[in-house]
Amino acid sequence: MSSSVSVAAEWDLLSDRFYRRITIYSPLPWSSPATTTASSSGGGSSGVSRLDLSTHIVAAAPFGGPIAAVRDDSKIVQLHSEPSRRRLLLFSSSGHPLASSPWTPHLPRLHSLAFSSSLNLLALLSDGSLLRFRLPDLNPITSSSPVPLLPPASGGVADAVFWGGGVAILTEDNRVVVTTDIEVDDPHPRELADPGVAEDEQVLCMAVVEPQLVMSGSPEVLLAVGDRVVAVDEDGVQVLGEALEIGPVQKMAVSPNGKLLAAFAHDGRLLVIPTDFSRIIFEYECDSALPPDQIAWCGLDSVLLYWSEVLLMVGPNGDPVQYNYDEPVMLIPECDGVRILTNSSMEFLHRVPDSTTLIFGIGSMSPAALLYDARDHYDKQSAKAYDNYQLISSSLPEAIEACIDAAGYEFDVSRQHTLLRAATYGLAFCSRFPHGRFQEMCKILRVLNAVRDPEIGMPLTVKQYRLLTATVLIGRLINANQHLLALRISEYLNLNPEVVIMHWACEKITASAAIPDVVLLEGLLGKLRLCKGISYAAVAAHADKSGRRKLAAMLVDHESQSSKQIPLLLSIDEQDKALQKSIESGDTDLVYLVLFHIWQKISVEKSAPLDFFGVINARPLARDLFIAYARHSKHEALKDFFLSTGRLQDAGFLLLKESRELERNPMASKGSPLHGPQVRLVEQAHRLFAETKEHLFESKSAEEHAKLLRVQHQLEVSTKQAIFVGSSVSDTIKTCIVMGNERAAVKVKSEFKVPDKRWYWLKSCALATVGNWDALETFSREKRPPGGYKPFVEACIDAGQKTEALKYIPKLTDPGERSEAYARLNMTEEAKKAASEANNGDELFGRLKSTLAQNTLIDTLRDRLSFQGTY
Amino acid sequence: MAQIPNLDNAALNLTALREQSQKELLSIIKSIRGKKCLVIDPKLAGTLSLILQTSVLKEYGTELRILSADPLQTECPKVVYLVRSQLNFMKFVANQIKNDESKGLQREYHLYFVPRRIVACEKILEEEKVHQKLTIGEYPLYLVPLDEDVLSLELDYSLQECLIEGDTSSVWHVAKAIHKLEFAFGVIPNIRAKGVASTKAAELLNHMQLEDPVSMDNMGIPEIDTVILLDREVDMVTPMCSQLTYEGLLDEMLEIHNGSVEVDASIMGAQQDGKKVKVPLNSSDKLYKEIRDLNLHVVVQVVRQKATSIQQDYAEVKSTNTQSVSELKDFVKRLHSLPEIARHVNLAQHLQSFAAKPAFHARVEIEQIILEAQTYETCYEYIEEIIQKQEPIETVLRLLVLFSLTNAGLPKKNFDYLRREILHSYGFEHMPLLYNLEKAGLVKRQESRTNWPVISRALQLIVDIKDPENPDDIAYIFAGYAPLSIRLVQHAVRSGWRSIEELLKLLPGPHMDLKRGVSTISSSELLPGSGSQQSTDRVGHRSLVLVVFIGGVTSAEIAALRFLSAQEGMGYDFLVATTKVITGNTLLRPIIASSKEGMI
Repeated sequence: MSSSVSVAAEWDLLSDRFYRRITIYSPLPWSSPATTTASSSGGGSSGVSRLDLSTHIVAAAPFGGPIAAVRDDSKIVQLHSEPSRRRLLLFSSSGHPLASSPWTPHLPRLHSLAFSSSLNLLALLSDGSLLRFRLPDLNPITSSSPVPLLPPASGGVADAVFWGGGVAILTEDNRVVVTTDIEVDDPHPRELADPGVAEDEQVLCMAVVEPQLVMSGSPEVLLAVGDRVVAVDEDGVQVLGEALEIGPVQKMAVSPNGKLLAAFAHDGRLLVIPTDFSRIIFEYECDSALPPDQIAWCGLDSVLLYWSEVLLMVGPNGDPVQYNYDEPVMLIPECDGVRILTNSSMEFLHRVPDSTTLIFGIGSMSPAALLYDARDHYDKQSAKAYDNYQLISSSLPEAIEACIDAAGYEFDVSRQHTLLRAATYGLAFCSRFPHGRFQEMCKILRVLNAVRDPEIGMPLTVKQYRLLTATVLIGRLINANQHLLALRISEYLNLNPEVVIMHWACEKITASAAIPDVVLLEGLLGKLRLCKGISYAAVAAHADKSGRRKLAAMLVDHESQSSKQIPLLLSIDEQDKALQKSIESGDTDLVYLVLFHIWQKISVEKSAPLDFFGVINARPLARDLFIAYARHSKHEALKDFFLSTGRLQDAGFLLLKESRELERNPMASKGSPLHGPQVRLVEQAHRLFAETKEHLFESKSAEEHAKLLRVQHQLEVSTKQAIFVGSSVSDTIKTCIVMGNERAAVKVKSEFKVPDKRWYWLKSCALATVGNWDALETFSREKRPPGGYKPFVEACIDAGQKTEALKYIPKLTDPGERSEAYARLNMTEEAKKAASEANNGDELFGRLKSTLAQNTLIDTLRDRLSFQGTY
Repeated sequence: MAQIPNLDNAALNLTALREQSQKELLSIIKSIRGKKCLVIDPKLAGTLSLILQTSVLKEYGTELRILSADPLQTECPKVVYLVRSQLNFMKFVANQIKNDESKGLQREYHLYFVPRRIVACEKILEEEKVHQKLTIGEYPLYLVPLDEDVLSLELDYSLQECLIEGDTSSVWHVAKAIHKLEFAFGVIPNIRAKGVASTKAAELLNHMQLEDPVSMDNMGIPEIDTVILLDREVDMVTPMCSQLTYEGLLDEMLEIHNGSVEVDASIMGAQQDGKKVKVPLNSSDKLYKEIRDLNLHVVVQVVRQKATSIQQDYAEVKSTNTQSVSELKDFVKRLHSLPEIARHVNLAQHLQSFAAKPAFHARVEIEQIILEAQTYETCYEYIEEIIQKQEPIETVLRLLVLFSLTNAGLPKKNFDYLRREILHSYGFEHMPLLYNLEKAGLVKRQESRTNWPVISRALQLIVDIKDPENPDDIAYIFAGYAPLSIRLVQHAVRSGWRSIEELLKLLPGPHMDLKRGVSTISSSELLPGSGSQQSTDRVGHRSLVLVVFIGGVTSAEIAALRFLSAQEGMGYDFLVATTKVITGNTLLRPIIASSKEGMI
């Protein structure tokens, strides 16, 4: 077990637990002049990427995020060692410069820098205003002018604490302002209750319990004032822990779970207290009464205190561990430890995980340690491997699990390897262990190793990775323009690569201003095709926003969803194409969308509608839809359209419609002079019909219609009854006869060349209506009716006049008709007789029988069923 | 019996489809808290009665109103409009809101479009300046189950939009509705389409599958094997003929709306006069299911026989005391069917009063003569006479359309003469109607020789029915005429379009035969004609064929499909989807009305 000993030798014991400090990146590129020049060759002067923590205001994002820095102009700097103009610098956790931009001069003093949880860089200025920058290029968000967070005349920032989603600011006049929506364009700062700091008192230090850890969901701000600590939130102020008699607190830090507070008191004691100040959990007396420069929790078990050159780790029992640094240090708390940034290295300090202790702990005889050892023997082809296996065979699964788990905590790839190999040795003997667990860890480690690479510089631990989730990690990678790695990870983890490719395409367009459209398009398409169902329209929209309208047009061509494609085509002024595509889509709603868009544009630009008519006239669906819509609300435009496109007959019909609307108007219908316009419209329509060659019938009909309206008007005047206008020629004749005005009826008949056959139907019907049977008989004798006596028979039967009907039935020439007439009068015998005379007698006879029989048949059935009377 | 049909026996899980629609509606209602007034357009109100009991809505603090041109009368502070996306309804909505404003009423307005938002509608709301005041949403109600084998989109204007206006919105709706079905029941592997709208719908369906794919992997075997799409335009002949089946006659004479007919209470044997009663008509009524597709005179016999047998049993029960308890039980059970029998006796009796009239016989006879393309003169004179007698214009047009279709139009002299007689008899306001019918090719001038006899012969449309009580061909439906549309379906399921390719060219519109989603290996290469093989492979498995009629379908045609699937050796079940169940009258009426209004 010699190899194991060396591992544990690097550990430090605090209380009963081991801690270890892992060097992740060292040296950092910014500390060694040689690498600096090499890596910053594209980024300007070599000084740009130099970083000295002691002279800079620095912020580092948790979860292995980037580091931002601006020179602190309150510190004295050696002349010429730094460029004179201040710059905002951005590095990866591995110290690689990512971006820099000049710091706007003449701004108020910079108070602090921080990252929001979606990795925007926040810069709080001493007057309480906030600058925000987007990564990776440090472009200002929304506007380059700072957003004020403090009310006017608050005296500026005295102290401030950031957390992922917000900031709490203590003003110079001792008020507390909290902003929880720091990511939105227009944040809403809220002032908390007045902490009640007296004039002669001073706020010594400040800490925040993050909103997600507070029951109420809003942040709680802790202030050390005099010898008390007050908790301030929106509703009020609470004085805490008076009973504990802590005395003035110089420095505070809230534990990662929000339940504990580490407080450094004026007398050099470090106290760990629950945030409700109910008791003191433990205290440690430091050598120094001077408050530390930094205080941070390392996990939930220990607290780190940093004075210049000394880092002290204090645990609940026993001696603290002391580390010495001869250069400035920055503590970056993580969920499972603390990262320690110095000018030359990035380290990670954390509690040694249980599984690791089991395997590498000095003298450990745990099954896991034996399994690890067994693998070693096995590789050396020693039989001891099997001995070890026999010792642990009953607890093999725990041993395997410990090896897999411990592998996850290692930054060292070769040690990951040996641990996993140890696990596989155990797996060979243990079929009941879930193999998925092993594969999962291998996958995670592959991803972690990839992002820990100094070129990427995201030193995530397995615990941090699980908390962050793969999706967010991919999001961070694409925001850092690491698209290839993001895509590989997406594919490797079976995640949808759409978001990666989409982001890449948009960034590519932004970055490729000099590349011709066609070349760029090819490049984009090559990648976009990788992802089925990706929205080309979204990429095209970005191209359009970047001023590449032609490229946008080419891209949108590839969009398969018409409902996304067409609005975009319209927004880039490709109306013809939009219309074409909408018609192809078959979705009439999209066609309307385009039509209204074009129509609106014409009315805004006041250009001639003729262009519009021309455009739609060439496309039947668009044309027909326009017509259908216009019939409802755009009559005049429709008429213009018909006339300008030579559809005179349709314009004619439109005039007829208007004439009928006049007729329906109550003012118009009662023989008033308003008939004039109605007739004129019909005549106008007649002329339009006449102008076309093909609509002779319509032309004649319109002419007749106008004539009828005049005749009816005259009839209304002469009879003083407004009952004619609007009725048909036949009805007009009938009305005349019913009124006894035979002469007028005959006049209408001849004026409209009513055929004799119809005349007989109309007149017999009208005479029967008024029951003028004598006149009917006279009429029948005038001459032999041209269509036979059927009109007379039917008129009488319909009126229920059997006797009258019998006068005419014998005169019917067709025996079939005779038989039918008798049948309708229920004269069965006569009907049968007539039927037998017809040459299709049998058929007639059969039909007759069914006609007569079924009625009675079903009637009897009804009677019989009525005994139970449900209806 | 409820008006909402029981769907348990459906070949597809239509209950789930209906429940989905219920749920979507209720979640809209629930999403608007507090007391609200639900304003539904008149047609939709009827459709919703097929989805849920309207009383359910009241449980959620909802007052119901029907949308009209009049101001809205309600105390509710919130108004929810649920209207189909039709332009004319938008003015109503706008007027009601403006009316409220003029009275100083402050309300919250919601507008749900059925089945989806339409730019043109919103444009009108914008022009009326009420768009801002409305919260707009969608209620995606596409297909409504009318019965266990009939789905309807309830689009009243589909035919006139496609045929006359050139507005193909309903084609999109059809494709969307089928696509929605595919999400539930799998991608339909075979598509056969005939007609302009149908082939377009098939294309759209394919396009939708590309845009918004139904995953083919985890669905298993698609439940629908084939979809056959037919334009009504392909066969306008059939709906013009008088339907002779029981259901067909009910629809022709009394008009079935949303699965029920409304008749005078006196007809149903009740004492109170003048009151109307609703009689639900669907397969939940066992007797109706048995007789709906039979000819009326057969129906009368069936009903009579059932009644008589019960009567005999009754007589036996009364006269002897020897029955066992189980026999008695049996008898009581049969007595329970008496209300059903009585109901149909009443309805059949009522239909007889129409159907026994000589005029009805004469009409059916003349239809037969027209279909057989026999004596031109007789038909022409008959039509002339009914115009001159001013019979209802729908009646006239049905025959005229039938006559024109089978003759490929009328000679110019006859055409102009009849048109003039129509205008003189019914008024010049019907000028646009004649123009539109001509545009749609329904009544036109003869320009070429008719190919109706060729079609009729090739498809055996005229069949001599030997035993009307036990028919062996769908031609029994129209007493000797086999509906053209159903003959096409028969061919399509049997062997695809290929066998009648030449014939299809004689009918309007292109045709299309499509196989989709055969992602599985080269099984089609290995087994040529695997389609037929498959149905024999899976013993006892019946394929489901979805027959879609764009522009409407008649009850008689549905009857013919039911008849087909009941035939021995027929391995298919049919499910009908249509834009609307129509009769000749209800098909022509909106065209007549819209033409008169100048809206088409």
